[in-house]
Amino acid sequence: MPPRARAYEGTGVTTDNGAPFSDFLDDYFAECDDHLMGVRRLLLTLEASVGGAEINRNVLDELFRHFHSLKGISGMVELRAAEDLAHCLEEYLRALRQGDVALTAEGVGLLFDGAQTLEQVIAARRAGTPAPAIDALVSRISRIVAEGARDRAVATLPGSPQAQGEPSGSVRPAAARWRCTFSPSAELVARGIRVDAVRRRLSEAGEILNAVPRVTTGGAIAFEFDIAADLDEPTLAAWRGDGLAIEPLAAPERAGSPTPDAPAATLEPAAPADAEPGQAGRVAPSHYVRVDLTRLDDLMRNVGDLVISRARLAETLARIERRVPGSEWRAIQENAVVIDRQLRTLREGIMRVRLVPVGEIFRRMPFVVRDLARESGKRVRVELRGQGTEIDKFLIERMMDPVLHLVRNAVSHGIETAEERIAAGKSPEGTIVLSAATAGDIVRIEIADDGRGVDAAAVAARATAAGLPVPQGALDSSQLLSLLCAPGFSTRDESDRASGRGVGMGVVQAAVEELSGSLSLETTPGAGTRFTLDLPVTLAITDALIAIVGAETFAVPQATIREVVEVPVSALLQVERNEMTTYRGAALPIVRLGRLFGLPDSGRDRLHVFVIGTGAAALGIAVDRIIGQREIVVRAVADALVRVEGISGATDLGDGQVVLILDPAVLARHMRERPDRVFTATGAAR
Amino acid sequence: MPKILIVDDSATIRKMVRSSLRPLEDAEFAEAGNGLEAIEQIALAPVALIILDLNMPDMHGVDVLKFLRRHQGWSDVPVVVLTTRGDEASRDTAMAAGATQYLTKPFSPHVLLAAARAVLSDAAAGPRV
Amino acid sequence: MSGNAASGVETYILFTVAGTTYGLPSREVRHMEMVDKVTRVPNAPAFIDGVVFSRGQVVPVVNLRARFGFERAPYDLRTRLIVVQSASRVIGLVVDSAREFVNIPPDQVQPPHEALAGMSGRYVDGVASIGDRLILTLDLSRILKFAENLSMDLAG
Repeated sequence: MPPRARAYEGTGVTTDNGAPFSDFLDDYFAECDDHLMGVRRLLLTLEASVGGAEINRNVLDELFRHFHSLKGISGMVELRAAEDLAHCLEEYLRALRQGDVALTAEGVGLLFDGAQTLEQVIAARRAGTPAPAIDALVSRISRIVAEGARDRAVATLPGSPQAQGEPSGSVRPAAARWRCTFSPSAELVARGIRVDAVRRRLSEAGEILNAVPRVTTGGAIAFEFDIAADLDEPTLAAWRGDGLAIEPLAAPERAGSPTPDAPAATLEPAAPADAEPGQAGRVAPSHYVRVDLTRLDDLMRNVGDLVISRARLAETLARIERRVPGSEWRAIQENAVVIDRQLRTLREGIMRVRLVPVGEIFRRMPFVVRDLARESGKRVRVELRGQGTEIDKFLIERMMDPVLHLVRNAVSHGIETAEERIAAGKSPEGTIVLSAATAGDIVRIEIADDGRGVDAAAVAARATAAGLPVPQGALDSSQLLSLLCAPGFSTRDESDRASGRGVGMGVVQAAVEELSGSLSLETTPGAGTRFTLDLPVTLAITDALIAIVGAETFAVPQATIREVVEVPVSALLQVERNEMTTYRGAALPIVRLGRLFGLPDSGRDRLHVFVIGTGAAALGIAVDRIIGQREIVVRAVADALVRVEGISGATDLGDGQVVLILDPAVLARHMRERPDRVFTATGAAR
Repeated sequence: MPKILIVDDSATIRKMVRSSLRPLEDAEFAEAGNGLEAIEQIALAPVALIILDLNMPDMHGVDVLKFLRRHQGWSDVPVVVLTTRGDEASRDTAMAAGATQYLTKPFSPHVLLAAARAVLSDAAAGPRV
Repeated sequence: MSGNAASGVETYILFTVAGTTYGLPSREVRHMEMVDKVTRVPNAPAFIDGVVFSRGQVVPVVNLRARFGFERAPYDLRTRLIVVQSASRVIGLVVDSAREFVNIPPDQVQPPHEALAGMSGRYVDGVASIGDRLILTLDLSRILKFAENLSMDLAG
């Protein structure tokens, strides 16, 4: 007999200190992103099926659930506007599912507007900005729902309640049917086999017709999955080894008949939402974990600290080397080498975790294009290629806006209206192709359209009017690009929302260059335009030793350093114009970094020396102190004014100040060629 | 050490529930994102309390509840169901199917905590007639 | 900028260097900041103070006092870094102070007088009088031009 029932009404809104679940806003936003992504994808599918093709009931069901979930979590974080709007959309979907309201193009448009507004409301909460008003939208939708309830329109949707339980999707009548029984146990859990994993595996292999929990005669719980799949012997053997009992089902059961014992779970075939075209049937298993980027950065820092500790250990060991018997020393060295290798593997592994498919940027583009095309009355389709190409997450975040800007430009300035296109002998629907591919350590992202191309004369005229210097004669594509990206080319009073608030191409170029990438343009008037962004696959991240010379701090890439030794000034010998010291039984020329760069001597009595090169080419670069080893992000030092030989870049050690990165190979070469000269900005001697 | 099973398809809400119930002394938590996972959790280890969302995609919470109540061994486990404002039908069905209490979303943390405490102490008070 | 078609009033950012007020068209200016520590670049030209990070980019810092031939002055609370863009180059200019924006109609900008002395003369492309003030408008590309031949540009 069940325990005595009691009821609690949630009061929902207030506690003493305001919103009770505000700590969970990050989770809330993340979950909203997932739901909204799903909504967008489903709406595109829905739109394609209006006024013609059959409407898949599952699409309506999924949409309903998304809005229902959004309503629930928005209520929990007390984002009232989102909750109300989601509720309203949920009601509309309910009416659609029940057939109270017929699906029209206007209705789908309303759903798009609703989804977009909902997204904006949530984004506004995230950014702390005022949210858009929802009242007009809510009343429009409510009115439609109310009218539908009155009319009770009879719209039979295939897959309506009568046929419930029959899963839609690709039923393969020819496939054999099996009953797979899974009994969870602690032992299987320890092997990572849980019911969810089993379900995933089964749906990848075929189609799940039914899933029913049961209690066996022994009182244990088991799950029965009926699937339609072609299973070969190895698969059957593997599954049985993983705790599944499998038997063929004699005759095709009428799916949907609930067994007297337990209610069935309704299952949908896994939707290949991100499968590439041409790879139909490949279902992406989601064995992914959402990781906070700051945790990854922390991990990287920990590994960096490990590397520093390892370096300190090496220094300590070097000091005691002569006191350790040879065989023991060799053992220590071997251990050290193994640790080095493992550290490197670990660091590279973490770097790889940061790699994210470019598809994350591309995914949004069809929606953006659709909205813009609708607004401007054009017809545009989007093709995505190479979405699986991976780049560093840092780059993804920086590239989102520039790519968005270029795509918007392509729709608003590139693609012509249907009439213009027909008049030009093109198909009325324009195409934008977004592609990504790697070549070596570069990722190439291209945004290409088959529109009207860039009108060089118009650009030149506009540039002149804006007061920009315009080269004489015909403009080549790089000159065109420079003009397009020049500050002042596009002005703030461009009320064309599509161009991204009038910020202009300059921002795109700056963003690309900031990441050590490059932007280029190809265009053919009348035929189309292609923008190409070349980006490094990973950031140039490298290990470096941080050294102090006088008041200056420098970074020296670890890879170039053979060894670090400490040398008392008294041990330096003057030989002709060079300073030297003994090192491993041979003479090592020493270059004081300070002198090489025209910095004053520090007057210290001990110097730290990096040894670079080997054998006869070995060279020691002396600094005052080495303060540690760090993993650094290399930034370009590009401008001619500060391009100095011997400096290969710059980095930030975390406090926002520039630390220059040395190029020891160049220093070494300079030493060999002209030992008495001091560097200057253009390489000419002073 | 009472084990509390939190069943909801929203990861955010599962976190919120867990956080709300943290003040319960000695409580251990388990989570499930759908009906099958919930049943699996119950199969693997004894559970002192279930917080069960009703509107889940694959298997409705009411069906999970019915499955439990039909079988000896789980028929007495206290279950607090989470219902949505406006969905009185599901709420009534759940109570009829044997839910111990219902809580309407959105709820505030101490309401959930109070409900959980009451249910656990009821259960500790011994079997009913 | 000299030679462009008059398209209306131009907004200038005004700043001072060694007591003189100069102006740059605001469309060439990306933003202004206070100067923090500037990292010296060994063996860069003498009018370069070094480099800083600005919005994630490494930006060379041109000391306009040095560029115009004046003695350097230590940075103080009024010192500003004006980050400008010329073609695709982003450069920072260190000035004594910068605060004002003015609109200057093109007909109020006269070509610089022949007798305008001092090194700054080569960088000035116009003179405007606003009220009782004289403002020298600058040609950014000349300021940033760095000749391969160093002998003239290196200060002692």
